[in-house]
Amino acid sequence: MRLTHFRRTAAATAAAALVFGGLSALTATPALAASSQVSVVHGIPDTPVDVYVNGKKTIPDFQPGKVAGPLTLPAGSYDLALTKPGAALGDAILKVDNAKVPGGANISLVAHLTTAGKPTITAFANDVSKVAAGQARLIVRHTAAAPAVDIRAGGKPVFQGLTNPKEAKADLPAGTVNADVVLAGSSTVVLGPKDLDLKEGTATIVYAIGSADDKTLGLVAQTITGLHSAPGGVPSGSGGLAATGVGGWWYGLVAVGLLLLLLGGATRLRRRS
Amino acid sequence: MLIGAGVVACRSAPPSDVGASTVTALASASPSSAGVQVLDGSLPTADPALPPVSLRIPAIRLTATVAAVGVDAATGDFDVPPSVDRVGWYRFGASLSDKSGSIVVAGHVDSAAQGRGAFFRLGSLSPGDKVTLRSAGGDAQDFQVVGREVYAKTKIPLAKYFARDGALRLTLITCGGPFDAKTRHYRDNIVVTATPIASKR
Repeated sequence: MRLTHFRRTAAATAAAALVFGGLSALTATPALAASSQVSVVHGIPDTPVDVYVNGKKTIPDFQPGKVAGPLTLPAGSYDLALTKPGAALGDAILKVDNAKVPGGANISLVAHLTTAGKPTITAFANDVSKVAAGQARLIVRHTAAAPAVDIRAGGKPVFQGLTNPKEAKADLPAGTVNADVVLAGSSTVVLGPKDLDLKEGTATIVYAIGSADDKTLGLVAQTITGLHSAPGGVPSGSGGLAATGVGGWWYGLVAVGLLLLLLGGATRLRRRS
Repeated sequence: MLIGAGVVACRSAPPSDVGASTVTALASASPSSAGVQVLDGSLPTADPALPPVSLRIPAIRLTATVAAVGVDAATGDFDVPPSVDRVGWYRFGASLSDKSGSIVVAGHVDSAAQGRGAFFRLGSLSPGDKVTLRSAGGDAQDFQVVGREVYAKTKIPLAKYFARDGALRLTLITCGGPFDAKTRHYRDNIVVTATPIASKR
């Protein structure tokens, strides 16, 4: 793992967490990109829910730590609600009315706790741009009732001072990273260490969820595949032994041969005459 | 001398494309799914890929060791094994355990220092020729050539040949076409596509 690269990009990618409303500003899209891919992440401990979209039960008995979707939602406004499993929509634990979903985006809706420990839903726009061949994208999101944290890889801080509900990200060489989460500026480990296998051509999104006070901190991961690029080329020969298309010198040789034949023929003709 | 020149010209005529439409159809084959999928949000773990370790192509009397390779960090190109008698399997793409996508194996046609490479005669393969990949456990998977295409390196649709989706297929790549003696590069890539046939255990 190349930590220098890791640190550099970490600093450059300011977190882009978006509460509803902010999202549409970021993804001003043409009218024809009508739908978005929407995943739903459950980060509230000990609270299974039914997820309602526009009054329709869409994800029944959704368990904490799970990731649902992606749903394909046309651009528009949506009413979202979470209820206890089987409870009436009127008794929702959490409701967000008129949540704007822009077109052509890839979004994660995360049910989680605020820093103060209250349930909320945050929408994050996922960076689904292609990664270079051999690379993987790591996105970390602070969605836990916990203070600012640093994320370390191999014991060294790579994303620093991350607060709820922000994200940090970097494109890294694909492979395994041993990561942990510490209180910002300290070496007090609050989560991990864990091995993260970052698969080439994917984005791995890791959410810190739960509550520090309730000792329910945990990690949830979401993976977005299909972001791979092909290598730049396949250079596989430097000898020229297999070259096709006849080289210029062959034409030269043929020309000389023809000339000799003609001369020979001409000489013979002259002798005969 | 004339006859000699004629023979060389015939032998070195670039192989013509065969099976191009079949190759394109393979790239776009995909299963569909419906409904809201709910996944466990556990941390990702390493995939159980089944890398090929040897390649056999009887038609060109080739048996080669296959090395797992990635991308040359300096150039971003396919990291073809430097030893020309070995070929490289693209470890980020499909492996023998996958049900879709392109298993890519590239090898040298030749090298200035080492002479002829494992894929020297790749361009002479034709539809129906058999290709066998073997994994470390000894399991063999047979493939049958369905297409052979030649592209200028500047025009080759690499995304199609390095796709992770579409039907499972084997893509063999090497260099070919005219050679620029100054840059020591071939102009073209030769691409041979093969599809799996009933496996032999």
